Amino acid sequence: MFHPVAWLLWLGAAVLPAMFSQNPLYLGIVCLTAGIVYAVIRRRSPLAQSWSSFLKLGLTLIALTAPFNALVVHAGRLVLFTLPQAWPLVGGPITVEAIIFGASKALSLFTLLLLFAVFNCAVDQSHLLRWTPAFLFEAGLITSIALTFVPQTLHSAQEIREAQAIRGHRFRGVRDLLPLFVPLLTSGLERAMQLAESMEARGFGGSLQPLSPRREALVKVATAMALLGLVSGFFTVTYFQGQQALGQVLLILSLIALALAFNIQSQRVRRTRYRHGVWQRRDTTLAAISAGVAVTVLVVRACTRASLTYYPYPPFSPWPPFNFLLGGALALLVAPAVLAGTRREQAQQPTPILAGEP
Amino acid sequence: MIEFKNVSYSYPGNSTPVLRDLSLTISEGDFILVIGTSGAGKSTFLRCFNGLVPHFYGGDFGGQVRVMGHDPLREGPRGMARHVGFVLQNPEDQFVVETVEDELAFALENYALPQAAMRKRIEEALDQLSIAHLRSRQVSTLSGGEQQRVAIAAVLTLQPSVLVLDEPTSQLDPQAAEDVLDTLVKLNADLGLTIVLSEHRLERVVQYADHVLYLPDDGQPPFFGDPTAVMARVPLTPPLVTLGKALGWEPLPLTIKDARRFVKQFRVPSSEFRGQPETRNSELETSIDMQDVWFSYNGHDALRGVNLTIRAGELVAVMGRNGSGKTTLLKHLVGLLRPRQGRVAVRGHDTRNASLEEIIAHVGYVPQNPNALLFADTVREELDFTRRNHRLPPADYGPLLRTLGLEALADRYPRDLSVGEQQRAALASILVADPEVILLDEPTRGLDYRQKEALTAFLHVQKREGRTVVMATHDVELVASCADRVIILSEGQVVVDGPVRQVMTDSQVFASQVNKLFRDTRFLTVEDVLGRI
Repeated sequence: MFHPVAWLLWLGAAVLPAMFSQNPLYLGIVCLTAGIVYAVIRRRSPLAQSWSSFLKLGLTLIALTAPFNALVVHAGRLVLFTLPQAWPLVGGPITVEAIIFGASKALSLFTLLLLFAVFNCAVDQSHLLRWTPAFLFEAGLITSIALTFVPQTLHSAQEIREAQAIRGHRFRGVRDLLPLFVPLLTSGLERAMQLAESMEARGFGGSLQPLSPRREALVKVATAMALLGLVSGFFTVTYFQGQQALGQVLLILSLIALALAFNIQSQRVRRTRYRHGVWQRRDTTLAAISAGVAVTVLVVRACTRASLTYYPYPPFSPWPPFNFLLGGALALLVAPAVLAGTRREQAQQPTPILAGEP
Repeated sequence: MIEFKNVSYSYPGNSTPVLRDLSLTISEGDFILVIGTSGAGKSTFLRCFNGLVPHFYGGDFGGQVRVMGHDPLREGPRGMARHVGFVLQNPEDQFVVETVEDELAFALENYALPQAAMRKRIEEALDQLSIAHLRSRQVSTLSGGEQQRVAIAAVLTLQPSVLVLDEPTSQLDPQAAEDVLDTLVKLNADLGLTIVLSEHRLERVVQYADHVLYLPDDGQPPFFGDPTAVMARVPLTPPLVTLGKALGWEPLPLTIKDARRFVKQFRVPSSEFRGQPETRNSELETSIDMQDVWFSYNGHDALRGVNLTIRAGELVAVMGRNGSGKTTLLKHLVGLLRPRQGRVAVRGHDTRNASLEEIIAHVGYVPQNPNALLFADTVREELDFTRRNHRLPPADYGPLLRTLGLEALADRYPRDLSVGEQQRAALASILVADPEVILLDEPTRGLDYRQKEALTAFLHVQKREGRTVVMATHDVELVASCADRVIILSEGQVVVDGPVRQVMTDSQVFASQVNKLFRDTRFLTVEDVLGRI
């Protein structure tokens, strides 16, 4: 299939409409493309089982939110019927607008869930973790270890619960937690100690190069400035409508400073990576399409604000507007399904190079 | 060459040294076996090779260590990783990432090797350990033996010249243990890798060792020499060697093949021994009754039509491969699992109708891992806890603690005890409720010969007192020394059920060392042979 980074770009492009717009037409297109992509990739992915639980969660979300909004918000002109005013909270007119608004809010959440479900099926988390930037390597490794710790801990919790139950342990109060938690905690700590030893014995942690004092100071100052800049830029853009340009410049400058600091940090780390997943031409195609979609969404949003934001209550129309350029762009998110359908090989498997040699 | 010169070490906050004035020289390419009771400092000694002691643990270190010209004290574990590969007891606890291939790459990535070199070394390590077919599997889905081979491959990628292993087989079943040891022997022979290994099951490795280091725990000086010489001097020996020593065989045989030579000249008085009286228990009451028991885990049949009747006072060993249903069977006897079909009755209680409370009034179950039980501040409190749970009045623990050799440890923190002591503390905390049926799951995991002997003696006492004991175990020697009856499970079915002497003599695999040597129903243990002469 595709390179994890290409998938990440696709995900980035696809979540934009779900974040910026509650317009059910655009969201519908995104949901539809996500469904098609899933249908194509599911046969190849061992992770595909998680899809149905995502789907159930999303549908529950819609089933809960839409009626709730309709019952509680009584604004709008298209009145379906009226509940007695005497009823607290739910009393009043039930309007089409409120139903649509509730449903479209829920739909945007549902879309996000659906996209992550597809992503989850397509990309193994451990493969993605390998693409954390070098200086964040340790954070990525900790996540990876945590992922393997969870099933082990669940297993020993079960073992301990059974062992204590046979010993006559019954749960009556907080004090009875001790016989369960103490063994769980101590065995977890013992396991952590063993892992630490094993990692150290394989040369872990000795790979950070010392920086010259000058560069070290530069990294610290750049990071601090960048974080400060990001915060103030964010507030300028959000709260001072007149200073948009200043805020945006501030944001861009801080991002550059942050990138610089991260880059210096990454150079300190003397590590290499074992090759996994080759970047192929179709990854480039997918990346380009995703970038195109993202840019279109951003440009349309910047030029014609009205066509993305959607608000069904009066004085606006309850019927969503539709921009054909944007709709067409979103339909391109189906790209992974089309590109993956053409070939069948697995890019994640590196081929052995020693095959045939003595 | 590896050189230890006057090495002494004590852990932080502990004034008694674990290693005292240890000096020895190991030549390149040797296979070294490290033996000693648990708590004698085997793990500590092994951790000196790559500097984990003292760098990881702290403490007072005296003397000098040189490993292939490097000083672990100065270079530390990270620096030594290229020269010394280090593998721990429990394979699951040493994995960092999810898939086999990435686990192998971990050490190489730490050393920033170029990708091309990494790929070459990983392919080589996969081939050396014959695990190429597992390369893209998740480590958590592998069997214990496969996991341990992956762990070995993961340190071999750095191409160390010394491989140090701390009881690498103690968590494995016999077949997996054999696989791992065979691999080590091959690595030693083919690559000239120096191997330093600590191990309890001497009968499997002692014949491969070039030298053996014995670390006593009673302050005596350690002893380093060739296997026959060390075996002749130390108390911890496999049954075969014990027998050879008792009969004065010279030179001391280490393998069954060597010992056959002596057996030929060995005259045993015949015929007056008629084997175990098999009808002895038939008039005793039924303790456990299983009728056509079926059980499935996630759609996989773990027990398939098991029929079993066990009488009071019987000691039954349940044997079989990993995953053959041994633990599932034990869990049925204590009501933790209930049959999908069929009936289990324990002391007259049908487990489907009885509450767990009713069943555990009669049954005590000691799980595989004593750590799952122990939580209190002292051993005594562990016993109090069980008594309280069973609504029994406080009692005098003296006799029980004495039988298990725990009197001196009653007020110690259970987690600080050695593996064998923890096992006994777990036993005590179950037996304090005075159950009529005792279930043991792998009771000898991690125990040395002396601790096994103590366990055997204890089980004999239980049997004499009329208790029923059912134990799931891989340990053939333990079964030979105390069981009356053996049940062999395969894929959830009982394939063999008979008196221990009969089963062992008929089997090629489930036979004790002494029995393999004589192939005679009269001889299962060293005592059997010595009692005949």
